[in-house]
Amino acid sequence: MELVQNFPLLSIIIMTSCGAICTLLKGKAAKWYCLVCLAATLALNLFAFFYTLQNGAYVYYMGRWSAPWGNEIKVGVIEALLASAFAFVMILSVLGGLEHILEDVESTKVNLYFVMIAFLMLTLLILVYTNDIFTAYVFVEINTIASCALVMMRYKPGKTLVATTKYMIMSLLGSSLFLFAVCILYNITGHLLMEPMGQEVRRLYAEGQYLFPLTVAIAFMGVGLSIKGALFPFHTWLPDAHGSATTTSSAVLSGLVLKGYIFLLIKIYCRVIGLDVLAGDHMPDVLFLFGAAAMVIGSVRAMQQTDLKRLLAYSSISQVGYIFVGLGLGTEAGIAAAIVQILAHAVTKPMLFCAAGGFMNVSGGSRKLQDMTGAGRRDPLSGAAFLVGVFSMIGIPLFAGFTTKLTLTQAALGHGSVKCVLALIVIIVSTVLNALYYIPTVSTLFSARNDLTPYRNRYAHYHVPYVAAMVLFMIVNICVGTLAGPLLEAIYAGLPSLGM
Amino acid sequence: MNAGFLFVLPVIIPVIAGLLVYFRPEYREEAKRVAFVRIMLCVTAAFVFLIDLLPEAGLHLFSLTPELPVLFQSDGMAKIFITLVAVMWLASGFFSFEYMKHEENHQRYYLFFLCSFGVLVGLGLSANYLTMYMFYELMTLLTMPLVLHSGKKEAVQAAFKYLFYSVFGALMGLLGFFFIYNYGTTITFTAGGVLDMAKVAGHENKLLAVVFLVVLGFGTKAGMFPLHAWLPTAHPVAPAPASAVLSGVITKAGILGVVRVIYYLIGPDFIRGTWVQYAWLGLALATVFMGSMMAYKEKVLKKRLAYSTVSQVSYVMFGLAVLNQAAFIGAILHVVFHSFIKDVLFLAAGAIIYKTGRTNVTELKGIGKEMPIVMWCFALASLGLVGIPPLAGFVSKWYLAVGSLESGVPFFNWFGPVILLASALLTAGYLLTIVIDAFFPGSDFPMDTLTKKEPSYYMTVPLIALTFFIVWLGLFPGGLYSMIESFAASVF
Repeated sequence: MELVQNFPLLSIIIMTSCGAICTLLKGKAAKWYCLVCLAATLALNLFAFFYTLQNGAYVYYMGRWSAPWGNEIKVGVIEALLASAFAFVMILSVLGGLEHILEDVESTKVNLYFVMIAFLMLTLLILVYTNDIFTAYVFVEINTIASCALVMMRYKPGKTLVATTKYMIMSLLGSSLFLFAVCILYNITGHLLMEPMGQEVRRLYAEGQYLFPLTVAIAFMGVGLSIKGALFPFHTWLPDAHGSATTTSSAVLSGLVLKGYIFLLIKIYCRVIGLDVLAGDHMPDVLFLFGAAAMVIGSVRAMQQTDLKRLLAYSSISQVGYIFVGLGLGTEAGIAAAIVQILAHAVTKPMLFCAAGGFMNVSGGSRKLQDMTGAGRRDPLSGAAFLVGVFSMIGIPLFAGFTTKLTLTQAALGHGSVKCVLALIVIIVSTVLNALYYIPTVSTLFSARNDLTPYRNRYAHYHVPYVAAMVLFMIVNICVGTLAGPLLEAIYAGLPSLGM
Repeated sequence: MNAGFLFVLPVIIPVIAGLLVYFRPEYREEAKRVAFVRIMLCVTAAFVFLIDLLPEAGLHLFSLTPELPVLFQSDGMAKIFITLVAVMWLASGFFSFEYMKHEENHQRYYLFFLCSFGVLVGLGLSANYLTMYMFYELMTLLTMPLVLHSGKKEAVQAAFKYLFYSVFGALMGLLGFFFIYNYGTTITFTAGGVLDMAKVAGHENKLLAVVFLVVLGFGTKAGMFPLHAWLPTAHPVAPAPASAVLSGVITKAGILGVVRVIYYLIGPDFIRGTWVQYAWLGLALATVFMGSMMAYKEKVLKKRLAYSTVSQVSYVMFGLAVLNQAAFIGAILHVVFHSFIKDVLFLAAGAIIYKTGRTNVTELKGIGKEMPIVMWCFALASLGLVGIPPLAGFVSKWYLAVGSLESGVPFFNWFGPVILLASALLTAGYLLTIVIDAFFPGSDFPMDTLTKKEPSYYMTVPLIALTFFIVWLGLFPGGLYSMIESFAASVF
């Protein structure tokens, strides 16, 4: 076995130990230690990415127990790419919201915040890599706990507490449905590892046995993870939770946590159930319809918001809809488009949240759009980043969002049924709606009307971490937009190991 | 790949210059700012004219994916468009130096004025759909601040109306992009079309519907019915030099989009004789007539000019929809002539507002004595727009009518010229009345009390220069005609 093959597991171990060690450190030391560990994770996963790109996917047996008994992780191109991207965005989100973490979190608990960040990263890595469905369940739960803690860390009782409780209840509902599905699948197949389970499911389906439990399992799996992935109509918890949390938490929850669950769903559907079985149960159609509804309704709700962070949260709901539309097409190109959207949104939304944090700094901490009148002029760096984010959301070529639109419409056109027409319509409608609420927001942010806000004389003071985070966010966004070719090549190279 | 590197310069120079004007504190001082902007406008225009003189070339900037490169080229259509852009920006830019004295936020104005210059040159030079779409969207976003410049409530509302219509239109263009990417062999503009007929077979109806949506989408920018409502709202509220480029050039960006898609991607043969062609002809003629009627009714001068733009740009749309060579040449000629004429009319209206503050056409009695140079230019441009020989508008309308009559399209081949004539009469009705009132206000009008109010050279020189071209191109259209003919022959 080559050294590089150990790297994904090594990164998981590093993040675990980071979480444990941060509990013992003081706030500042915990911050540095966590950042170093995240950087190490990024580096290790990048190595794994380039390794898999050259040598293909491999399965890593934990404790040398081979299938079907042992626990294993499977490292493919897509998994490694997503893990690296998640680590990278995590670092930038922490840097971008660093000031706010220190303000919003009680000073004695700052280290705990980084503990939760470490655990969140850990669970994301495992959700991406694991090949064992029960391990996935365990870490879904840990992920829930870590993300609830991240929402609640903002030292303001009342609204935040309510939001967290709402989030907690919905999340637990989602994971219990997931657990049911896991139990049923285990019962009818006798396996927990994804590949043997997948073979068994296909055999049962071909022989026509246990079809009803199988359908129930597929549905529970879909609904459970859709609740956690904030698919319409299970999205109600998201705006409260993401809107009220501190900047880094909002960025990470919107950009990464949702994607962890959704990627798990994609993985299970591809590797365990298989797209043909799935299509027989019409699950893709259901996901497609709800995804399409989410794209429109998320945008419509976003238009009604006066609070910038809630606006961004509703926009996430609409963007998550794109992923489910891609998944719902049920073709190889559709899955590829879903993964592109996972990446594109992961690099865009955290940037927007961090920029919103920057605007709050020059607007007396208010999140109301009206108070932020002219904030983009008083804080030009956040303003520039916000503009890049908006261009990406509207889908202007050279920005990340355009890559999604391109791949998704190509996938839809390749599908060529009634779904094709529907997908094209919702993509266009949702893009128009995006423009309808993002551009007025931008014009408010850059407005010269000083009389609308009491904070007209507050100018931004930049700190190195914030500047670095925003500049890197912008660069990465444009990279995803311009290097679409190599990116798609990598994703297509990785699809076979997803079980396509 | 000889002169290719030149293409980047006229795109990037104005953008950088605009950013410098906005961010460098020394340009708060008017004299320095004007000197700098003047040099930058001239330098950019010089590069544009240099590209015109050099033979056709292409530039591959970089690729999104192997099939999606960002490409520039300088074919005949591109040269005509960028030349128009450069001339109009020069004229309006110099006019602004004086006009903007009574407006505020100069630095912001020049930022967007210069940036949109660069973006429009980029749009003209685009060699494939991706590049064009990118510049098209940027154009909308960068010209919107020109509309909301005054910051008044109606300006802001107009700007958002402009934005929403434009974004919606551009997205219909994007829809077309996805389809052409799927059904074509390439997205690079190729005279005669790129459709892969093997792939299209069986999907003709779907594709025709998409083509129609694309025409509507780009038609939004060109003010074509039914997505025209933003134009009469947005153009008049901008500062006059900005209205001039909005009406004179940016509406033509929509035309450029249609030309590129229909003649260089879809191919005119694909839609000839289909419902798309008839619907397009019908919409264009409806817009021609409706725009003229609305202009005739309107009393505010700048709004009247905006409605006139709605009508005149649809002359071009009509010419493009006829789908034969004579009408195509007429349409492109009209693009050029209307740009010059509308620029003069808006700049003259701006000069009147600047000097007298009068905006209503009923207040313009006797203005010919107060501002003779401005009103002479206005009068000549009006005559040109009506289409009286030997002025510019006559030639283009002639080819439009001839093309339409030759085309053999049922019903529209004779109905089109009738509508065009009726609209020309209305044009005379709404423009020449102003001219008549200005010079001959009637015997009871106290002409003796009027004083000279002629504006400074910054205003009169661009007006005279543009008017000179209107006369010149009307007298000697041969050079321009043969240039257009050379690339018109290749698309049919």
